[in-house]
Amino acid sequence: MTKKIHTITLGRRGFLQGAVATGLAAGTMPLGQAIWAAEGAMLNAFSYADIDKLDPGFYQNGYNVDVMNCIYHKLARYVPGREWEIENEAAEELEQVDDTHIRFRLKPGIMFSGGYGEMTAEDVKFSFERVLEHDSPVKGDWGPLKEVQLDPDDKYAGTIVLEKPFQPLWTITIPYGVGHIVSKKAVMEATGDGGDFGMKPPAFSGPYILDEWKPNQYVKLTRNPDYSGELKPGYDEIRIIPMDDEKVAERAYEAGDLDYTGISLSSLSNYKANPPADTTIKEFPSLYYVWVGMNIDNEVTGNEDLRKAIQWAINVPQIMDAAYFGEAKPSTGLIAPGLTGHREKALIPPEGDLDKAREYLEKAGGPPAQPITIDTLNATTWKTIAEVIQAQLGQIGIQVQVNVQDSGSFWTLGMESEGDRWKNMQLVVNRFSMMPDPFYATTWFTSDQVGIWNWERFSNPEFDKLNDEALSEADKDKRAAMYRKMQDLMEESGAYRFLTHEASPVMYRDSVEPALRPDARPLYVGFKPA
Amino acid sequence: MALYAIQRLLLSVLIIAVAVCLLNIMLHLVPGDPAVMILGPRATPELIEKTRVEMGLDQPFLIQMATFFGNLLRGDMGVDVFTGRSVTTIVMEALPFTLALISASIAWAALIGIPLGAYSALRRNTWIDRITGILSVGTISIPSFVMALYGTLIFAVWLGWLPAIGAGEGFGDQVVHLILPAFAVGVSWVGYIARIVRAAMLEVMGENHVRMARAFGLREGRIARGYVLRIAVLPAVTLIGAGVAHLFSAAVFVEVIFARPGIGALIVSAVNERNYPIVLGAVLITTAIIVLATLISDLVIAWLDPRQREGL
Repeated sequence: MTKKIHTITLGRRGFLQGAVATGLAAGTMPLGQAIWAAEGAMLNAFSYADIDKLDPGFYQNGYNVDVMNCIYHKLARYVPGREWEIENEAAEELEQVDDTHIRFRLKPGIMFSGGYGEMTAEDVKFSFERVLEHDSPVKGDWGPLKEVQLDPDDKYAGTIVLEKPFQPLWTITIPYGVGHIVSKKAVMEATGDGGDFGMKPPAFSGPYILDEWKPNQYVKLTRNPDYSGELKPGYDEIRIIPMDDEKVAERAYEAGDLDYTGISLSSLSNYKANPPADTTIKEFPSLYYVWVGMNIDNEVTGNEDLRKAIQWAINVPQIMDAAYFGEAKPSTGLIAPGLTGHREKALIPPEGDLDKAREYLEKAGGPPAQPITIDTLNATTWKTIAEVIQAQLGQIGIQVQVNVQDSGSFWTLGMESEGDRWKNMQLVVNRFSMMPDPFYATTWFTSDQVGIWNWERFSNPEFDKLNDEALSEADKDKRAAMYRKMQDLMEESGAYRFLTHEASPVMYRDSVEPALRPDARPLYVGFKPA
Repeated sequence: MALYAIQRLLLSVLIIAVAVCLLNIMLHLVPGDPAVMILGPRATPELIEKTRVEMGLDQPFLIQMATFFGNLLRGDMGVDVFTGRSVTTIVMEALPFTLALISASIAWAALIGIPLGAYSALRRNTWIDRITGILSVGTISIPSFVMALYGTLIFAVWLGWLPAIGAGEGFGDQVVHLILPAFAVGVSWVGYIARIVRAAMLEVMGENHVRMARAFGLREGRIARGYVLRIAVLPAVTLIGAGVAHLFSAAVFVEVIFARPGIGALIVSAVNERNYPIVLGAVLITTAIIVLATLISDLVIAWLDPRQREGL
């Protein structure tokens, strides 16, 4: 079974208390207890997208990280389960010495494949610093990283030095994409300058290796013959099969071609009533956040009273019923339940209030003379959301035109670099993903993101200040209050109506024991036969 | 015949060049920045601009076009903006899957459709002819993606006889994985081919040379095979040639539904990602195949029927 070394509540203090003990416990455990791998087993799993980058320093999205988790090591990793926790992986010891110094010591004996030798602190330094040196698109994950100092007396030990405190380090940086450690020697040989090696990992250190990648067909991971760590692979082979449509994955699962898949919310009630044979269905919350945004700099939606009329006219439970078949719950803001900064309730109740909406509309001078537009992605759920809002706003006399766009067009809608389209954008149904730190959600809505990802063009100095300060705030309660206040400010601007965090149901064979993050993201490295 | 072939070949090259030019124009008209799609949401504006320069997107449109055609003459279709892999490699990896799908679809449709149409014509106005007519119109009316969905449900989910997704590995496995997708794409073509062949057979059966053959006392079976079907099959050949474009369209849906690799699935994802080099490369190859198929069908018809060559 998966060896749960020791788990600690995510956060700096908790980590300080637990990390050293974690490493010690791991180091003293007999090897025999850790070995549980099944022989000859194969897992077929569904993925929403194909991989396109296996260099952790330049990772693009979570689908790539799903594979990286299997083929590389990190200092610490997420613990599968319902709570956001991390545990040591490559680190024997991981300790926050003070607000800007994190000391680590690697477990001895972690080997890189291809004869690239043992993992040392030099590899850690190289892996982390190259993200900044090569101006990676995801260098923001390392925040204020200054350098990694090596311990002259211990080749396994070093200290991560930050310019200033950075709380997401424990929730995003170390256990996720840029936290993976690569072989300095192998990467330098492959790239010459230590830059992006793209899809060709020069060496592996995890329990699996990338055996084969057939674009748009599958990613094949097999046991790493050089692996000597404690996380023995549960399967001889894992195939991760990308599919554009989760309905296709559902049918493939029913036909026996998959062992694990996500389920669409429209299918969930059917599956719960009539589950496929030998199947377990589980529901998880999601970290996605969906909202209706309103362009503050547009001539029509620039009217704050009109925006507030729209906020109050939108009935979120009705949208949940129509677009999510009643399987998703209304959200209170950007930050999902269970995360620091989650609000217990929004300022505007989910059901809204048509009388209040009419009051605001009257103050705004009545409905706009021309229909206002609502832009949305060409996906069924999003279109339904837009159509329900169209009907709801019709109740107070606001005519709405739904503009459906393909993903390439939609995702540049509010960007100033794409010409003047942002000026005509009025309402937009939007959905962002996030990681288990509130910083990851609020960072897109600051003033310097206006015209980039802040399409509502919301600009509030207090919000910006709080966003900066919360990054360094070590007191969890204070930090939570700051993020709650930031969501209040967003809602008070009238530019946002928060809808939902959706949900992440999955199903898998009874013969599989999955390892899933609290948001149902698969941690394939921990999957094993039941 | 050689002159005819050369003329058609030159025309084909022109068509491909025009198609690629039009596609280039359309790609530049639709909104969406490839650099943003490549780098993801956390890239800085400076990095996005740097990437745009590296990709040549900062150049005027005509320069980009000239660069594309210049590279094309050297056999270089560029690289995938996400993975850095050669577009030629990516397209050529996907192409065999689509070609196999289209070939299998049209082959089984022709194998069933031609005899069905011929038999229907020979048994004109009988109950067999009427049933064939109903079946033909019925299959023509069913979109390939509907057939794909029901085919999967029945043969993969309920009966468990065939795989629901993928392309398989090794020849035997690949053939098994091809059955359902080829059925879905080809089924409407059974109806098309049967109706065309039936109509052409009836027309040819009334011509003088057929009456002459009958007058000489040849058996009906020999007349049908040797004197009628050979001519009656020509419209079906034209239909198949011209229908390759339609088959590619059907393959797009079917490749998504069966999670099969192929040109259709490749173009869909590349368009969504604004992966211009892949879109251009895949469409270039697809256009070339469609034009080539039309050319081949014209040449076959010209070979079978000398009157076509005289029309030039």
